[in-house]
Amino acid sequence: MPVAAVTGLGAVTALGPDVASLAAGLAEGRCAIGPLTLFEHGGRCRIAAEVPDLPASASHGLPPATARRLSRSDRLALAAAAEACRHAGLEPPERAGVAVYVGASVGGMHEAEAAWRRRRTGADHRWRLSRLVATPVAVSAAVVSQALGLFGPRATFSTACSSSALAVAEAAAAIGRGRMRVALALGTDGLCRLTYAGFDALQALDPAPCRPFAADRAGLSLGEGAGALVVEDLEHARARGARILALVLGAGIAADAHHPTAPHPEGAGALRALRAALDAAGVTPEAVDYVNAHGTGTRQNDAVEVGVLRTVLGTRLRRVPVSSTKSQLGHTLAAAGAIEAVVTVLALETGLLPPTVNLRTPEPAWGDVDFVPVPGRRQPLRIALSSSYGFGGHDVTLVLARAR
Amino acid sequence: MNRADVLAEVKSLLATGLRLDRSPSDIPDDTPIFGEGLGLDSIDALELVVLVEERFHVSIPDEEVGKRAFASVSALADFIATERTR
Repeated sequence: MPVAAVTGLGAVTALGPDVASLAAGLAEGRCAIGPLTLFEHGGRCRIAAEVPDLPASASHGLPPATARRLSRSDRLALAAAAEACRHAGLEPPERAGVAVYVGASVGGMHEAEAAWRRRRTGADHRWRLSRLVATPVAVSAAVVSQALGLFGPRATFSTACSSSALAVAEAAAAIGRGRMRVALALGTDGLCRLTYAGFDALQALDPAPCRPFAADRAGLSLGEGAGALVVEDLEHARARGARILALVLGAGIAADAHHPTAPHPEGAGALRALRAALDAAGVTPEAVDYVNAHGTGTRQNDAVEVGVLRTVLGTRLRRVPVSSTKSQLGHTLAAAGAIEAVVTVLALETGLLPPTVNLRTPEPAWGDVDFVPVPGRRQPLRIALSSSYGFGGHDVTLVLARAR
Repeated sequence: MNRADVLAEVKSLLATGLRLDRSPSDIPDDTPIFGEGLGLDSIDALELVVLVEERFHVSIPDEEVGKRAFASVSALADFIATERTR
């Protein structure tokens, strides 16, 4: 796969409304998981990493009627996308050919749930189009391109928790094939009752903030947010004088043909994805400097993931820091891949390793692995991996590199 | 319900029913409902037909009637007041 450049970043997370606040929160080792306030949930878990002060009024040039009906996921996506375009210095004339590749899973589910409740309680006597029109998962991509004037190819990927890692991988691949020169790859997912109740019913939620890689880890914490990356043909980026933040060297995509929610016990798909990513990038295990793990904090994910890293990286694993951004931002589901790609680009750019927080006692069998304790540390990196694994066995690994 | 009541009710329906970012008292009587006026679009139009039928039991059977009824806030109040006295 030809190398693509990353020239712009955007993020709206529980650590703040932009990349600067995300970077500051990561550096401080802050855990953004707090009380669930967005809706009532009568279950065993009551915490989440909610995005504070959602930019409800930020319509980024959309007509008022359209702006009024945006879902939570749409508003998150729009804010991150606008930031990434600004950061990349993409002015309106250059935006026309830009592709929009989005990873999303719930779309306007939060708003659809509210519409259903209003109908059921009699607050609405008939179904109301304005309350349902943001429901489809492809709406976020549409509002982003409408608001920012992006007329290039558009696609929405929905592969559960690897959705936006796939969006980044496919954007880089399509640029490599010459389909477009510039793509906005983003992930977005707002919290909603369906997700929360589903993960709780699965007993996948830790009632306390999640503790990835800990001996006593007991599940994940849900979060929400959006991450966006401007991915660009390297020559195109150089020709227009864009600042190149990092490189996408390669990606690997594979599947577990195994179970609706559990990972394959030996990580069959994750292994294939990791090996394929290194192959595509032409990178040996010895060259890997950092892994931004999927690291959900569930018993199974973390065990399978460390096993896969050990299999592929071998003795190198002892010298490769591995951290889980989900310990700070919660699991943002379809947004996680893009947000964690943003975090990985920041680590490559600044040499600041984001820590794994809430980790007091690591799983004893992984005593030789460096999970980057709080507060993180400075360590120059050249090549980093970011892995995302989705329910149903949707496995994606990205290989990213420092620009210079 | 006299016409003044209908007019007040229409403004309230527009502001709260369509979740406009303005209060009913900030809507002048002669404001056009679509385009430059309240900035509503075709999705709001469908919604408004439902809201008017639900609230006033007055139906807007086709586009021709709709164009006349939705010309402005006061035109809508007139249309509803007339239809209700039939």
